[in-house]
This record gives sequence, structure tokens and C-alpha cells, in this order.
Amino acid sequence: MKNLSNTFILTCTFILLLLAPNAFGSTLKVCKTCRYTSVKQAVQKANPGDTILVSGGVYRESGIDINKPLTLIGQNNAVIDGNFTGQLLTVTADNVTILGLTLKNVATSYTRDDAAIRVMGRQNIRIVGNTILKTYYGIYLQNSEKVLIKNNNILGDNTDRNESALGNAIHLYYTDEVEISGNNVQGHRDGIYLEVVKNSQVHRNTSHKNLRYGLHFMFSDGNTYTYNTFRKNGAGVAVMYTRNVRMEHNTFEDNWGAASYGLLLKEINNSVIHHNLFRRNTTAIHMESSSRLDIKHNDFERNGWAIKLMTTCIEDTFRLNNFTGNSFDVSTNGKSQYNYFENNYWEKYTGYDLNKDKVGDVPYRPVSLYAMLVEQVPPSVMLMRSFMVNLLDNMEKVLPSIIPEHLVDKFPLMKKIDHDNDRKLTQVLR
Amino acid sequence: MKQVIQDSLSLLMLLFLLAGCSVEPKPIAYGAANCAHCSMTLSDKRYGAELVNDKGRAYFFDSAECLAAYVVDQPELGNKAAFLMVTNYTNPEELIEAQKAYFLQSEALPSPMGMNLTALAEAATAGEMQQQLGGQVLSWDQVLLAVQNDEKFK
Repeated sequence: MKNLSNTFILTCTFILLLLAPNAFGSTLKVCKTCRYTSVKQAVQKANPGDTILVSGGVYRESGIDINKPLTLIGQNNAVIDGNFTGQLLTVTADNVTILGLTLKNVATSYTRDDAAIRVMGRQNIRIVGNTILKTYYGIYLQNSEKVLIKNNNILGDNTDRNESALGNAIHLYYTDEVEISGNNVQGHRDGIYLEVVKNSQVHRNTSHKNLRYGLHFMFSDGNTYTYNTFRKNGAGVAVMYTRNVRMEHNTFEDNWGAASYGLLLKEINNSVIHHNLFRRNTTAIHMESSSRLDIKHNDFERNGWAIKLMTTCIEDTFRLNNFTGNSFDVSTNGKSQYNYFENNYWEKYTGYDLNKDKVGDVPYRPVSLYAMLVEQVPPSVMLMRSFMVNLLDNMEKVLPSIIPEHLVDKFPLMKKIDHDNDRKLTQVLR
Repeated sequence: MKQVIQDSLSLLMLLFLLAGCSVEPKPIAYGAANCAHCSMTLSDKRYGAELVNDKGRAYFFDSAECLAAYVVDQPELGNKAAFLMVTNYTNPEELIEAQKAYFLQSEALPSPMGMNLTALAEAATAGEMQQQLGGQVLSWDQVLLAVQNDEKFK
């Protein structure tokens, strides 16, 4: 009996599979010699569920309204050139796929926020493998859900536009359940901007040379960011007013400038920052009013300041991080400290390990007197590495009086942590 | 008589000049200045705001709601401020006094910090835009109250 029902189910599935192609509707072709010579025309004529194949060539159009479920596919370099006459694709239906097109030339428009692709109040939208050049906003979604934005290449042109005249490459507003992965974004105001976005994943994107932030999110709880690279932006990532964020395996590089950060945290709670690399940033992490963060297994290499920890931060834990080649490891703006440092590797540590348990026998205080001084009197940075400063710092190390007494790593590690092979070590330490 | 008034006026002017540092709003350097409340880089010309304290020092903000939040957080600074300025949305080069501005709060116009406030110089413009876009028109005091009661800024 059981066998019979199984066979029945299998047969049904097979028949359904055979019928499946019919569910996709028919295919309309657009090319210079086809029945349809413009994308707009084909979209108007198509039935819900149809596929539109756009062949190579340049189509000078804008204001294409996709108002039914369609699959729009660009082949061998199909280009839709808006010629600065407004928004290119506006999606006003659910279940739309936009694949492999090149979209270009959208002018700055302060009142309308024109984009190459704009989606409003829709779901099940897939935007995959497109190239978007010289637009004001690249991909702009609002009040939508279940969206995939994958493998797109979005290049803004910030040579003749200032910050105000640039929009964001990928801009999400009140949109949930989004996957943003494998995109390359550059030359916009913010590379990826999320405002009030929930339950979303941002993976393996490269965001660089943006005027403001590589990734910027506000009021967006419960999202995950992994394996992204943020390079040469005004600041790498800015995170504000958000809870339950996971940031893992990201690279923050070369975010240099008077007001530049690798990662700017403001009012972030209950979040995780693991296995990231911060290299050559003016300030790798700047933290304000952020509490209950778990900061573990990160590498801080050659930054100006590795961590700027404002006194408004409480109950943050820093464990098993490497601090190498930073001008200042930790800097703070006051004496009160309610954060926890343990088992980090500090290159500047000069203590010893007589009992050979791989943990230094002398506690390490990462905040130097000079770091405190620079925080209070920024111009004093010009005294860096002077004889006097070194003297003061060493005095302070021996007799701490000005630096926060409780900001201390009691068990600093003697060797740099190899994050992949440290499981044994952590077991020993426990 | 006229002469006396003119003289005293010019004397006053002289005194002002001698007083040195002038207390007046300064132009906002977009792209370089950071918001004093939320540390974000100012980048949207339509929404910048500014507080000038009684000594003439200017603090910049990326939005009217950040200026309001700053004033709510630090009333002593807010009360002593010589100027509280916001940007006139219809003319981004122009700063107007917050107390005299009309604030359209409409979801159709998202502002940088999520409160959807757009500052306007004229009541008529605010009315027109409200007709077109929906939402409500607030005074500065109502904005302060709204910020005070807003979850995000607590």
C-alpha cells in the first residue's frame, strides 16, 4: 500500500514537472529587426508570466513600467540608455525578474530620487547580474519584501557630482527579507544603504570608493553581514540605532581621512562582531552608546586608532583579538569603564610569561596616557613618538594615575592568535 | 537729534566690530562636516541644520530631527543658542530660523534620520506640499515634542 502511494506521488511530481515550462508563459524577443524594437513595447504587449529576451544593442528608452509578473533578460550586452530623461525601470508588480541588462544614464533629481530600477510595495523581486552605470540611485526598493539583489555591478560617476548630487547604489527603505550578495558597488554616496530593514543578509559584496559610507544602516534589527569588503570609502560602515546585528568575516580597509572610520557604531546593542579584518583605517572602530557587543577574533592592523571606546559604552566584551601596528590600540574619553578585555594579543605588550602558559604574567593597559591626551587635546598628536611622550607613557605604565584603571587586559596573550587554529588554545584557557 | 542717533548708532556698530568674533550662522560644508548628534557625515543639501551658540561656535547637523534631538538632550545649550537654523527645502542654499519654519512631516519625503521632516520657509508652500504629498505640518515646538517622544531617539 505504502509503495503504491509513493509511486503515485512520484508520477504526479513527474507530470507536474513536464507541465512546468508551460507555467512560464511565452517568450517575446526584442531586437533591431524583431517584431518588437523597444523594451517598453514588449513589456506592454506581454502577458503575465511571459519572458522578454532583449538582444544586444542600445535601446534609448526610459520610464518602462513593469506592471505584470515578467522575466526580463538581457543577452549579449543589451543596453538600456535613459539618456538622462528620468527613471529607467519601475516595478509595479510582484514576481518580477530582471537579469543581465546594462542600464545607464539617469540624471540627479532631488524631488523624485530617480533610479535605474525602482521597486515600490512589491514582493518576490529578483535583480541579478545587471550592470548599472552613471545613475543617481542604482537600485531603490521601498516597502517591499522577499527580494534578491545578486551579482550586480553598479558604478557611479562621482567625478563631476558632489555628495548631494549622488544617490546610493543600493537603497532599501522599509523592506524585509532581502538577500544582497556578490554585488560590486562604487562611486555613489553610500554603497549599500538600509533603513528600517529586517531579517536580511548582506554577503560577499565589495563596496568601495563611495563618497560617504560603504555600508550604512539605521533602525535595521536582526540582519547579518558577512564576507564583505569595504575599501576606500569616506567611512567603511556606519551602523546606528540597531539591535541584534551579526558582522562576521568582513574586511575594512583604507578608510582614511579626518573623519573616517572603518566601523562607526552608535547605539548598537546585543550584537556580534567576529573574524573581521581592520587594516589601515584612521579609526578602525568608533563606538558610542553601544552595549553588550561581543567583539572577538578580529585583526586590527596598522590603524591610526584601533578602537575608540566612548564612556557611554557598557558591557562590551573584547576577546581574542590581535592588535598589531596601530598608533593607538584603545582610546577613550573618560575614566569610568564597564567593559571587559581578555586574552587579546597586544603587539605593544612588553610583559613576560614565566610559567609558560602562553598568557602574560603582567596585566596590560591598552590605553596610554598619550592616547588620553590626544583625545582631550587633538593637536597634541604632533608630539607622537617624541621622547617626552614615550617617557610619560612609561611612567604611567608603572604608576597608573590618569588612565582608566579598569580598562585592562589581565590575561594578554604572548603570541599572535591564529583565528582558525585557536580552538585548542581556547579550550586550554577555559 | 538725527545726528545724535546716527552717532550713537555708528558707535554701537564700532563696539560690535570691536567685540570681535561675530555670532552668525555659517555656511555648511557638506561632505566634510559631521553631525554633532549622530556623527554622520553631512551629505544631503536639502536637510542640513545648524546651531550657533552664544559664543559664535557653530554645530552642524544632518537633519532637523538631529538638531531637535541635540536641543532636547542638552536644554541648556538649546536655550542659550544664538541661532537654530534649518535648511529651506525649496532653496537648499538658504538657512532659515527653526522657530519660524514650517515642518512638513510626510512619508513621501524621507529625511536622513527617519523622522521624515522637511523644513519650509513659507506656510503657503507647506500647505501646497501637504496637499500633494499628505502628512502633517508641524511647528518647531511640535518637532521638539515629536523627537522627545520618538522611540528611535531615546
